[in-house]
Amino acid sequence: MSDLKQTASGGQPASGCPADEARIGVYICHCGGNISDHVDVEAVRERMEKMPGVTVSRTNMFMCSDPGQESIMEDLKSGLVNRVVVASCAPSLHETTFRAAIARAGGNPYQYEHANIREQVSWVHHGAPATDKATRLISAAAGKARLLTPLTPIRVEAQRRALVIGGGVAGMRAALDLAAQGVRTDLIELSPYLGGGLARLDKLAPHGEDAAGIVRELAGNILSDPLITTHCQARLTAFGGYVGKFSVEISPASRTARAQEAAPGAFVPGKGVLGPAQAPGAPERFDAGAVVMATGFSSYAPQKGEYGFGDNAEAVTLPRFIEELKNAQTAPDGMLRLGSRPVRSLAIIHCVGSRQIPGVHEEGPSGHLNEHCSRTCCAASINAALTVRKTFPATRVYELYRDIRTYGRGQEEMYAEASAEKVTFLRFDVESPPEVVRVNGQYPLEVRVRDELTFGENLELPVDLVVLATGMEPAPIRDLIDMLKLPVGADRFLLETHPKLRPVELPVAGVYLAGTCQAPMDAGEAANAASSAAAKAGALLRRGFVELDPFVAEVDPARCKGTGACVDACLNEGALRLQETEIGGEKVMRAVVTPALCLGCGACAAVCPEGAINVSGWTLEQYEAMVDMILSEAAFAVTADESVSASPEPAEAAV
Amino acid sequence: MSAVNPAFLDELEAYGENAGALCFNCGTCAAVCPLDGGHFPRKMIRYAQIGAVDRIREESRELWRCLHCGLCTQTCPRGANPGEVILTLKRLFAAEWRKS
Repeated sequence: MSDLKQTASGGQPASGCPADEARIGVYICHCGGNISDHVDVEAVRERMEKMPGVTVSRTNMFMCSDPGQESIMEDLKSGLVNRVVVASCAPSLHETTFRAAIARAGGNPYQYEHANIREQVSWVHHGAPATDKATRLISAAAGKARLLTPLTPIRVEAQRRALVIGGGVAGMRAALDLAAQGVRTDLIELSPYLGGGLARLDKLAPHGEDAAGIVRELAGNILSDPLITTHCQARLTAFGGYVGKFSVEISPASRTARAQEAAPGAFVPGKGVLGPAQAPGAPERFDAGAVVMATGFSSYAPQKGEYGFGDNAEAVTLPRFIEELKNAQTAPDGMLRLGSRPVRSLAIIHCVGSRQIPGVHEEGPSGHLNEHCSRTCCAASINAALTVRKTFPATRVYELYRDIRTYGRGQEEMYAEASAEKVTFLRFDVESPPEVVRVNGQYPLEVRVRDELTFGENLELPVDLVVLATGMEPAPIRDLIDMLKLPVGADRFLLETHPKLRPVELPVAGVYLAGTCQAPMDAGEAANAASSAAAKAGALLRRGFVELDPFVAEVDPARCKGTGACVDACLNEGALRLQETEIGGEKVMRAVVTPALCLGCGACAAVCPEGAINVSGWTLEQYEAMVDMILSEAAFAVTADESVSASPEPAEAAV
Repeated sequence: MSAVNPAFLDELEAYGENAGALCFNCGTCAAVCPLDGGHFPRKMIRYAQIGAVDRIREESRELWRCLHCGLCTQTCPRGANPGEVILTLKRLFAAEWRKS
């Protein structure tokens, strides 16, 4: 009760003073039966109440609910507790919920410890052993909580400047959205042109927008925006720093690919809008608060002999066919001609370089199989087929597919329209793919397919052209992946932190994902992701500062002898270094932490021979307290007499 | 091996508005058809799509077993009107018979 008076009079948060004796509140959640069906929650509460340092223990049907959070906040405000332990689900779900509740009550959100008694207890154990394991985990949390000191988040000033890597539809969309939020933005592009993969397309599926028109409009806006600086033929050559203050270095790339005849700002068909080239000479260096990755994709290059590719001039990829189709002139006979060659019929083969199956497909020169679906090729193929049938009705079109995936708005209608236009669809099994054979007949090529739609019959398609619907692969950005330390998925595309909860974020704080560097997307989806990334980056930079969790290494200057063992063990370059300082007139080396770069992994704490470095909020002393409490029988000693639940070793508990 | 002839669908249009181009071969029509066995009427529509007129002729007796109950047309998800395709094929063979 004396505790109550102490805080009520002072008006200070109970946890504000580190000298305060620990008054731990333990809050145990039923999780609506998820936990309480297997753990005797009341028994655990009674055990915890009698633990040293614990002043109150409560239960709630849902501790994360408003009333649950209120009960914690009231105890903090009244001064009954100054450290909080919540025993509920995995901390990934609600740790931040409860830390925020503590902060709202005026407490220090870092004087908090979480015990996971759902995933680690009630979902995997039953009966008395479940109750006992929950008791031990919560005891450990309480043991640690006693030693928790108040911490403050690391505050990093954020540069109001962003770097966008890649000048395709995603990069341009992201740059424009950042500039619209008042963020100065630098966009770098390796090629001489703005437009990326979109610049190579024609009318876009399924609504028929003009790809060149979109590229022109975006690039025009980019080049005229005073907040955006465009660096074409530029590459990132050095990268360091941390969220809010990344140091970047941009160097001119080779200039071989530039179209000499085009003026800057002009649209070059199939390439994009010619952008301003990075000035030759010395690299340019500046600080950027956030980075948007918009490095795009590469089209799958078929292997020689794959569906006749490389062996026959009449076998081309879909991107190439789309470009040729753009320039094809209509003729009175309604027949498509490529060059002077009439195309009486053509076959489009789907899933080339996509949905590859180990043991069925052979690995290409990259040594990888593309097991993913490229998502855009079904619609692109059908769109091309429809264009041919409508513009050149005398040309027949066959589509050979494994599955049709027309998933987006308007795509299914386009598929139906292609059927109505008498595009002939045939379906093959991956184990018996179509063969493209050169023949001496009326047609140069014959496609032979075992058609599943015709009950597995072998059919022959005489054709003048074979089009391979090649999929998307990640662009070759190994240098950027290494420089920025980006995670890559099994499909080799960049991997987001969480597919639903943090879909455009990366574990590297301040770096965001936009477009097909993350996964195959169509132009609309890429623009969508880019706007998301720009919104995230803008929200970060507009505050002017970034707050990071304070769980980083801290050096005890009294104990550090400058051995440098921690610097050698450190996993993140720049997070730890030795600095010369003067102590008692003598020059000595001492370890110094750059908190914004520290990963909080604890490798330094493990190797320091002097025990002079610790991770705040996770000190060795706190770990030891947890281990002691896991092994302790204190919680069981009090309950054994009351026979609330059977202890695993009652004999020992009685001692 | 048989060669595909997509031009057959164009020829068939002389005998009815629905030649089966819209069918995407889901098989719903065959599943609801009260006639026993096989893949009727999808099989006929598929043969029409790839121009396998000989196959349709070989199995043309099946066309005359059709009750024209309309279940397939009612349930077709693509609006391909399978019942009408069967009628169209009947008209084709009736015309061929008259000519002969």
